[in-house]
Amino acid sequence: MDIVLNLDHVSKVYGNGRGARNITFSVERGQVVGLLGPNGSGKTTIMKSITGLCQPTEGTITVFGANAVDHRETALARVGTLIEQPALYENLTALDHLRMAARYYPGVGQARMEQVLEIVGLSQYKKERCGKFSLGMKQRMGLALALLSEPELMILDEPTNGLDIEATVEIREIIIRLAKEKGVTFLVASHLASEIEKMCTHVLVLHEGEMLSFVTKEEALRLNPSLEDYFLAKVRDKKGSVVL
Amino acid sequence: MTQFMANWKNELFKLRKRKKYFVFLILGCAICVASALRLVIANLITGGAMSPETMLGGLTTANLPFLLLLFLPLMAIMAACDLFVTEQADHTIRFSLMRPVGKGKLFFSKATAVFTLCAIDLAVLYLVTALTQVILGGGTRGLGSGLLACLLDLIPLAVLILFFCLVNQLIKSAGLTVLLCVVLYVGFLALGTYLPAFGGLLFTGYLRWHNLWIGVTLPFLSMLSRIGLLAGYGLVFACGGYLLFDRKEA
Repeated sequence: MDIVLNLDHVSKVYGNGRGARNITFSVERGQVVGLLGPNGSGKTTIMKSITGLCQPTEGTITVFGANAVDHRETALARVGTLIEQPALYENLTALDHLRMAARYYPGVGQARMEQVLEIVGLSQYKKERCGKFSLGMKQRMGLALALLSEPELMILDEPTNGLDIEATVEIREIIIRLAKEKGVTFLVASHLASEIEKMCTHVLVLHEGEMLSFVTKEEALRLNPSLEDYFLAKVRDKKGSVVL
Repeated sequence: MTQFMANWKNELFKLRKRKKYFVFLILGCAICVASALRLVIANLITGGAMSPETMLGGLTTANLPFLLLLFLPLMAIMAACDLFVTEQADHTIRFSLMRPVGKGKLFFSKATAVFTLCAIDLAVLYLVTALTQVILGGGTRGLGSGLLACLLDLIPLAVLILFFCLVNQLIKSAGLTVLLCVVLYVGFLALGTYLPAFGGLLFTGYLRWHNLWIGVTLPFLSMLSRIGLLAGYGLVFACGGYLLFDRKEA
């Protein structure tokens, strides 16, 4: 299979001791991998390390065969990213943001900009300043920016954060459709097990910066009624092994 | 180069969308016109003793100290802080960092955008001053040397901008960074003025670079050491700024 993303013993530890330690996993084309863990478990740290927002203290990250630290441009050329809250300039409009982002990707024109605005439901607000957007609209805008270059790998950190029920379902359907129809690979982080369960093919459980497991959804659900139970079982296992 | 140009255009676009730079430019133009009018009015009060050509000739060069020592450095400080420390503080720098562009290209395209803004402003202010001189009857005397002086002065301005870009990597607070830039800049200027021995060693001593080339020129070897000194400062500021920027996490 075609390996899109590979993390080899990656650690990123901050000054306060938090972060992620010894993370190793590979993602193949078309997989939707859910990073599941509570707040502070290292989900965002892993995503930031992949996209170069922070540098890992140890290990190697490869995106489409290119080292993510040494060859940023090649590694990120086919990656769409939405990490934490979208980085938006308050004084610029939605269209301004898309125009600026389009400059980095040859071949992305006005038609594609209109298309992504349509996908995320922001067409009628394209000339409005992002400073006036609600949290949900900002999240949609972040998603539009991530989708703009028709990426082959999408890294989404809490993509439905701040969205209402309808929008959450829409975003989930977009992810599932893109993975099935276009073979787009997704790495989606969430602290909600139910959300991961509904859209992912694989699940990676994180707890206190450690990777507890990386399995297919079917495997996780074989002995557990839900991903929530699977997560709790894994955390119990970890705590039990520490006591022993 | 494509990614560098893409980011440079984006940085310029962001600066263009901030109205304060336009207001600041209009203010600069008004000051340039006022400086010419001041001469005309003073001449009228004293009974018109001087001809307009004598009075206004060389106005473009006469306005340069104000532009090079005050107006453009302030503009550069504001722009550098907007593109570096403010973006770091509100995390909007992630917009560029999450795109396929190297951090080196990112740093230098931001610095180039600040330089471009200052160069455009200098060009506009030169044109306004030249037009004022011609319209008020000062003729075209000194316009050529004024233009040459402006072009020469872009070199130390580039070094000064790299210095401000370096200072922007030192602390996280936008307000403190502006203050630090101003204090360091004024400090270096004052040091060069009150201790002339240091003046030749500091990069701020060469902001009126045209003085070395237009009029009485120094011997070639003496010029060479000054060029080397300025180039050295530029190199240190560029490398230091880039290294610190590369290590920063968003």
